[in-house]
Amino acid sequence: MRWRLAGLAAVVVVCALAQLSVGATGASPGALFGADEHARMVVLELRAPRVLVGLCAGACLGIAGVVLQAAIRNQLASPEITGVGSGAVLGAVAASVAGVAQPLPMAVAALVGGVLGGGVLWVLVGGSGDVAVRGVVVSAVLVGTTLVLLTARPQLAGAVSRWLLGSLAGRTWEHLAPLWPVAVVVLVAAVLLGGVLDVLAVDDDHAHGVGLAVVPWRSGVLLLAAVATSAAVAAVGATAFVGLLAPHLARRFVGVAHRAAVPASALTGAGAVAAADAVGQVVRVPAGAITALFGAVVLVVVARRTGGIG
Amino acid sequence: MAVGVVAVLGSLALGRPLVLFEWGELEQVVVWQLRLPRLLLGVVAGACLGTAGLLLQESLRNPLAVPELLGVSSGAAAAVGTCVAFGVAVPFAPLTPALAGAAVGGGLTLLAVRGATGPAAVLLIGAAVGSACQAVLLAATAVADSREQGVLVRYLLGSLTGTTWRTLAPVAAGLVLVVPAVVLVLPRVRVLRLGDDEALSAGLRPGRARLAVLGVASLLVAAVVGPAGPVAWVGFFAPRLAAWLGRPSVPVTALAGAVVVVVADLVARTALYPVELPVGGLTALAAVAVGLLVRRRA
Repeated sequence: MRWRLAGLAAVVVVCALAQLSVGATGASPGALFGADEHARMVVLELRAPRVLVGLCAGACLGIAGVVLQAAIRNQLASPEITGVGSGAVLGAVAASVAGVAQPLPMAVAALVGGVLGGGVLWVLVGGSGDVAVRGVVVSAVLVGTTLVLLTARPQLAGAVSRWLLGSLAGRTWEHLAPLWPVAVVVLVAAVLLGGVLDVLAVDDDHAHGVGLAVVPWRSGVLLLAAVATSAAVAAVGATAFVGLLAPHLARRFVGVAHRAAVPASALTGAGAVAAADAVGQVVRVPAGAITALFGAVVLVVVARRTGGIG
Repeated sequence: MAVGVVAVLGSLALGRPLVLFEWGELEQVVVWQLRLPRLLLGVVAGACLGTAGLLLQESLRNPLAVPELLGVSSGAAAAVGTCVAFGVAVPFAPLTPALAGAAVGGGLTLLAVRGATGPAAVLLIGAAVGSACQAVLLAATAVADSREQGVLVRYLLGSLTGTTWRTLAPVAAGLVLVVPAVVLVLPRVRVLRLGDDEALSAGLRPGRARLAVLGVASLLVAAVVGPAGPVAWVGFFAPRLAAWLGRPSVPVTALAGAVVVVVADLVARTALYPVELPVGGLTALAAVAVGLLVRRRA
């Protein structure tokens, strides 16, 4: 198990290095130790924060996905299907329409939006268990509301489309500052909660049987997922389907036990964002476009396998 | 019907300038050149999208099977939006890319759906295709660095801003194709809604018939998407409204869709004057309200 996680980590490092070496100017990571002042600036001030923000955001989304899938007990659950992701985008866009620009208040606004989005779905689903289809509807409506907000500030159109999609363009150390502590805390918390997630993922009777108070624990881990999603969205935007794709990939490598699946999912999420951004910079599209296209394929596969119920 | 007449008169008269008693040069221009084409586009858009929604719901026997959730709307919108964002000129501009996009979106959904079990899987696969199409559109606007919010809002949500007689021309061309197609496909829909076994015993291959219905629905959506965008959730809303009125037939649904769009556009145009809201935003909110109400009752 350790070796497999280490292997995943190595893949992520390779992806990150690839991302570090592509860009508008031809600087390579080696320039960090070279004599060329200009190339060093490019790598240190432009590319390094971009790579690190991408890795942290991808890890957050991956963890959010694996936690949601366990807590809702639905393989289709992910930030973009539970309304949390699009709610967070709505919150962040609302903040920027109101004139907020600092990363920290932005993250708080995204968190409020994400929790509200997830809450709307919670109310809509009730006891029906039909999370996936209703979640898609809720997300679509939240995206619509985001666009209505855009009419208040038409000049933000470019920024809003990047946000809805997810893009690492122009990320600086300033964006990394509020993001990395969240990523670390969420990762540690989710790994420590691995046993609880294992129990929640089975069924409520089993959870009662081992003496777990289901409702508070489930609400707690759902909040954890919302925090992880919002931090990522506030930094880079929706980056669609990373949270869906990462856990499915991770479970292939390390199995379903959450103590391994959580860190593996963080790694696959980070790797997916890094790879998508590296490819995206070569073909000149935002990273979110790549993840959305790949993620859509994964969603199709999972939906076919589970009959759409999850 | 009466509501429809009131809505039509209201959308011609209300706004600034208010056209009630005076009938001068200004009022004439405003009504003839601005409000009438916009009204007509609203009516057609609502009727087409409502009908498309009804056809899909009945033939897939799922109240959530609407163009918005089957990749049809977003495919058409992505194609048209991309052409607009990059300034690509295509012959018969908004209609051909919209039709191609709707067909590709719906076709991808159908391909991915083959052999999948259950209506929920079909809808989710459609949603996956839809969000991939949206990603294409968003990437196109981001790459083309189009500063125009109009493109984004119109092709993600739907809006009637800036309609003139010129924008109506392709819609009229589309209608010529659409109306006979709907009439032709209707008998099959009536059989399909009874279920696959009944369709088979009536001598209809459910798979093929469904494909034909999807084709017609794509036509309906494509006719509208170029000038107005995929006015959000009208395809979901209109059949619901018609069912609530007691008659979920095509004319009633088309009328309901038209009324929904015209009323929503009237509100969008006047509520926060001079800021104009996209009509799709209001129809989306209305759809949420209806969805919540339906859930409460169920």
